[in-house]
This record gives sequence, structure tokens and C-alpha cells, in this order.
Amino acid sequence: MAVSLRGRRGGSSNAGIPTASTGDIAFLILIFFMSTSMFAKEKGLKIVLPEPTPPGAEPAVKIPPQNLLNVDVNPQGQVQVSLASEPEKAEFVSVPQLREVLVGRLAANKDLVISFRVSRRAPYRVMIDVFDQLKLAKAERVSLVHVPLLEEGGGP
Amino acid sequence: MSRIAARRQSQSEIPTASTGDIAFLLIIFFLVGTTFRAAQGLKVVLPNAISTERILKKRNVQNLWVDKAGRISVNDNLVAVPTVTPILVEKIVENPDVVVVLQADKDVPYGYVTDVLEALKAARALKVTFATNYEMGGGG
Repeated sequence: MAVSLRGRRGGSSNAGIPTASTGDIAFLILIFFMSTSMFAKEKGLKIVLPEPTPPGAEPAVKIPPQNLLNVDVNPQGQVQVSLASEPEKAEFVSVPQLREVLVGRLAANKDLVISFRVSRRAPYRVMIDVFDQLKLAKAERVSLVHVPLLEEGGGP
Repeated sequence: MSRIAARRQSQSEIPTASTGDIAFLLIIFFLVGTTFRAAQGLKVVLPNAISTERILKKRNVQNLWVDKAGRISVNDNLVAVPTVTPILVEKIVENPDVVVVLQADKDVPYGYVTDVLEALKAARALKVTFATNYEMGGGG
């Protein structure tokens, strides 16, 4: 009798769930998640669009032409910079030089607003390159001009 | 003397009891840090930009693709420009802080992009990000 009791006791001391492999199981799940999941790589250039204006309405803010700098991109992807008050002094600027030109212009006039107008036929890449330069030059007030299809026929 | 030496030897083991906890911690990190892609989108080659910034709040992102041929895709549906506005109006009602990420191909004519921007403006989806890749260096 006493022997059999001892035998039972010995049995109960062995009845535990083995936990030695939890680490291995966890690593297995970890490897599964690492191999199946992708990190969302959302990155880019931020812009806040203006409020929509009803068609035919006057623009809310009028900017004097001496404070308005036109940055135009033509269908060939060339960039032209000119003050709205002196359009005859327009100069072609290469994209890498643009940053310096803009920094100089912004230093000369603190109230400068940039009107960024891109041709419908210019490649998007050029627009991003120029927009990048505007960001690098710390140009805060940039207006992205929409060129309607009718104004520039033949394009997309 | 010999006893002390034996005890020291028995203690010199790396404790492995916490590996499971460490692994679970890593699992939780990966679960929280990853988001499964909702939409497949179109095949685009993004342009490069030096001043590329990360978008921190991934939950508010609405992707919009414009491929090389000018096709527009939202939520894996090919749509025309006039359809973009009602779709985005719905999204804005659901979540006013939505950020539209415009994944446009670097060779698409800008006309397609500006039309999409006008459609976004009409839907009052005013927070827009042009998706770009990082570019190293300061020259451009």
C-alpha cells in the first residue's frame, strides 16, 4: 500500500506541461511575421492645397506683382524664373541652380510668393525636381497653378 | 577550496529563460509596426527628391496611383478624373484628417497630375503628398 502511494506521488510530480519549447515557438511565429509583413514606406513631398474657389470668383488674396515670382516649366522641361512685375527679365535656370536663385530672391524680398506653373506636357519628374528645389530653398508660400486643358491645347 | 571552484563553474551559464519573452516582445513590435497593404495599385516608378519626408500617421493614408499611361487607380479600381472627387468626398467624411498620397510615375505628363490635384481640391482633400524616393546628396 505504502509502495503504491509513493508511486502515485512520483507520478504527480512529473505531470507538468513542458515549457522549454515556448521560446522556439515564439521565434517561429516571429520569423513568420517578419517574412510575411511589409513595412509601409509612405514618404514624399507634402503640400497643402488651397481651398477650392467657385468658378468665376475672384481670387481671395491679391498679390502685388513685385511680390510675385513666377517659376514656369515649359513642355521641354526647361525652367524660367521671372518677377510678375518685370516679365521681360525672365531668365532660364537649370534645376540644380534653382535653389541658389530662389534663396537669393527670397532674401531680397521677404514677402515673395512663388507662383509655380508647370506645362501639362512637361514630365512629372521635372515638376518634382523643381518642387524639391523650392522645398530646399525653404520657400514657404508656393502656389501651384492649375493650367486647364483648354488653355494649352494638344496636351494630355 | 575545491567546493567553491565547483560552485563557480555551475553558475557560469547564460540564462535562457527569458528568450521566449524577448521573442514575444519582438512579435508584438512587428505586429504593431507593420500594416498589411490594402491595395495593390499600379506599377509606377517614383521620382527622386532630396527633401523627401516620412508620413508618420499611416492610418490616415489614402493612396492614389497615376501610371505612365495616365491611368488613375484608387482602391484597386481604375477610375476617370471626374470619379476621383466623389470617392475622396466619401473618404473625407469618414476621416477628415486623410492624407492623399499621390503615387505618380516620373514620366507621366504633368497634365494628368494637375487634373487629379484639381479633383482632390474639389473634394476638399487638401492634404496631399507626392510620393517620392530618397535621393542622396545636395546637388540635385
